[in-house]
Amino acid sequence: LLKFVVRRLLLLIPVVIGVSIVSFSIMHMIPGDPARIIAGEGATVEDIMSIRIKYGLDRPLIEQYLRFMKGIITNDLRSIRTERPILTELLPRFANTAQLALVSIIISSVIGVTLGIVSAVKRNSWIDTFSMVFSLVGVSMPIFWLGILLIILFAVTLRWLPSGGKGGIEHLILPALTLGLATSAIIARMTRASVLEVLNQDYVRTVVAFGLPKRKVIYKYVLRNALIPVVTVIGLQFGYLLGGAVLTESVFGWPGLGRFVVDSIFSRDYIAVQVGIMMIATTFVLVNLLVDLVYALIDPRLRRG
Amino acid sequence: VRRFVVLLAVLLSVAIFAAKYGGTVRFLIGVDVTTLLPGNIPDSISTIVGMHIFEGLVDYDENLRIIPVLAERWEILDNGTAYVFHLRKNVKFHDGADFNAHAVKKNFDYLFSANLRNVGQYKGIIKEVQVIDDYTVKIVLFQPNSTFLYRLAQSTGWMVSPQAIEKFGHDPALMSKNPIGTGPFMFKEWKAGESVELVKNPNYWRQGLPYLDRIIFRVVAEDVSRVNQVRAGDADFMYNPPPALFAALQQDKSLKVEVVPTVRTIFIGLNTSRAPLNDVRVRQALNYAVDKEKLCRVLMKGLAKPSDSPLSSRTFGYFSTGGYPYDPNKAKQLLKEAGYENLKLELITPKGRYLNDYETAVAIQGMLKEVGVTVDVKPMEWGSYVSKILSRKPEDWDYQMFLLGWAPGTAEGHQVLFPLFHSSNRMDSPNATMRYNNYFYSNPKVDELIDKIAVETDEKKLLEYFKEAQKLVVQDAPWIFLYEMNIAAVMRKELQGVKIYPTERVSLAEAWIDR
Repeated sequence: LLKFVVRRLLLLIPVVIGVSIVSFSIMHMIPGDPARIIAGEGATVEDIMSIRIKYGLDRPLIEQYLRFMKGIITNDLRSIRTERPILTELLPRFANTAQLALVSIIISSVIGVTLGIVSAVKRNSWIDTFSMVFSLVGVSMPIFWLGILLIILFAVTLRWLPSGGKGGIEHLILPALTLGLATSAIIARMTRASVLEVLNQDYVRTVVAFGLPKRKVIYKYVLRNALIPVVTVIGLQFGYLLGGAVLTESVFGWPGLGRFVVDSIFSRDYIAVQVGIMMIATTFVLVNLLVDLVYALIDPRLRRG
Repeated sequence: VRRFVVLLAVLLSVAIFAAKYGGTVRFLIGVDVTTLLPGNIPDSISTIVGMHIFEGLVDYDENLRIIPVLAERWEILDNGTAYVFHLRKNVKFHDGADFNAHAVKKNFDYLFSANLRNVGQYKGIIKEVQVIDDYTVKIVLFQPNSTFLYRLAQSTGWMVSPQAIEKFGHDPALMSKNPIGTGPFMFKEWKAGESVELVKNPNYWRQGLPYLDRIIFRVVAEDVSRVNQVRAGDADFMYNPPPALFAALQQDKSLKVEVVPTVRTIFIGLNTSRAPLNDVRVRQALNYAVDKEKLCRVLMKGLAKPSDSPLSSRTFGYFSTGGYPYDPNKAKQLLKEAGYENLKLELITPKGRYLNDYETAVAIQGMLKEVGVTVDVKPMEWGSYVSKILSRKPEDWDYQMFLLGWAPGTAEGHQVLFPLFHSSNRMDSPNATMRYNNYFYSNPKVDELIDKIAVETDEKKLLEYFKEAQKLVVQDAPWIFLYEMNIAAVMRKELQGVKIYPTERVSLAEAWIDR
């Protein structure tokens, strides 16, 4: 298992290099000059030129890329826009995003898995109908709209919760709920389908025929097997949330990574975008590794793999 | 008895209207502060936060008149090439350092030696800064400059503690994280992407100010969310609400809405270097064909005012030229004279950069249709847009019409006329210093007037030159003159004494909360 982990971690290096090349090329392919945008309205030709020179934007692309990679290794990159060391910009925002992602994935897993199992077991009952309608609405509802509705209801009208910003646990509830509801819909559908499939397997019919109580059958024989695809979906969703949920962050004024990267794209802050994307890619790979480890935990057969 | 009643009434009203001390104002901003190092500040949000921490030698008031701040008074010598400033005494920076002539010199030395991002505002203008005595400083210019005091009033002219420069000056990021000025509030904390917190400066030199204990600037990207936070009472102040919500906000009894005209004008630039827009009759026709009143009333919901000059009516030097009244028949006639009766043009525009920018472009498309001009409107993302319309490559100069806004940072007209209309700043000019003349406009008479405006120190003559230049530019019509923007601010009813400037600045130095 250790060997497996080490191998996967080594695989991270080519992935990150690949991502850096792709994000670098794309950023430099779209038109726009960071010096011009960052210098602001009314900047003189000389001021714009001096920003260009300072950040090497006047150099050939290959040289700019090599400078960038060298900066990654020696950790002396700075955001072009704010001139602050790039990690002091990105890390606190990443922590905020991670906090939000973690709470939402917990909310959505609890809601999603519960609804999924219940509706699979009580197939075609009113609970099933309710939870499938719920997840249909959840999947189709634009997330920023849900966010604004929740703000109007709980913050503006009822005044139970703050309408945004970061602070105590109460600030986390609305954004996490917004993200969690949308994600739980996907998880619920996946769980339902997976549990239904396992319920129809021969070995389940056999243990039912042996007369085991239904509850025990579900927990001991069905869930374990049904959970593997569900864990995959949860893992993918978690990775996606860690990349920053831009819309939710914008609506709730949550100081996360996604919003920052988007703002950096608009101001052509190449360095912030490239490092941000590399960070997101790395997390994605790590979360996938985590998912694989969880597989091994659930299914002993995969432990040797 | 009557006297007594009057006295009582006066006392009562004083008691009611007297400013109260204490409290926190939560001020919402749409994007994070970029930097708090004055010489590097590029945007209005950083300026709004910074102006509570820092002060310059001079400033301008809400009517954009120059007022003394850290300089009590000044003399202009040697035909306008030397300014002697007499500095205010007993002023201390937040770190205890004295404000004096040495501090002033240190600030300018730092700006030039560190080559800060806005150094261009003084480079080529300031020749030397001399300390005459502890409280007198002389700034020598290369040549007279009518904009100099306005330049000093910009954020680049704010004074930073000399000790801070000593300690952190080698790293702009450290300077930005340790902003130490003489202003009414002191910097406490900056959580990246989240908030900036300022606290009251108990030793502020203006007696009795400030009233507030604390200001928290909080970042909320979405404008609807900003509105909701103020409505919910989670914040006290926001500006630029979506126009669609404007009417509802004005009816909300817990809120106040304030609208202030700004120095920003919105216009459509016309590329005068190529047919058909190289014909002045066509350009004038386009101006007559646009109903500016209607744009302001229907589309902008009163958040804009028709403009008749390249300068906003709030900008120093403005002259009302009368502009182009809405006259579609005249437009048709001019087009006919020019021989362009079925004209096709392309209009490129940013989307979301200015309030209703794309919507304005579409409305104009409809208006021009009525005089027989077919317009193709193409929205573009801001970064790509800027690189297109401010490109130095000749192959990019094929645009015809583009929608843009301009707000002079100095609040005076030279910073409109010089970058935008002087032929030395044309896109194809090799020695431009502020290259923004992307309509390829040139008129030798206008050039001459702008050159005179730059150095004239007699206000009467200066205003005369301004007037002539504006008349000529309007006549030549390198723009479709659209409107001047207003800034709208939404605040809790209890918040008093907020000052909103035509330069999109907001000051809470004299604000207080009426509980």
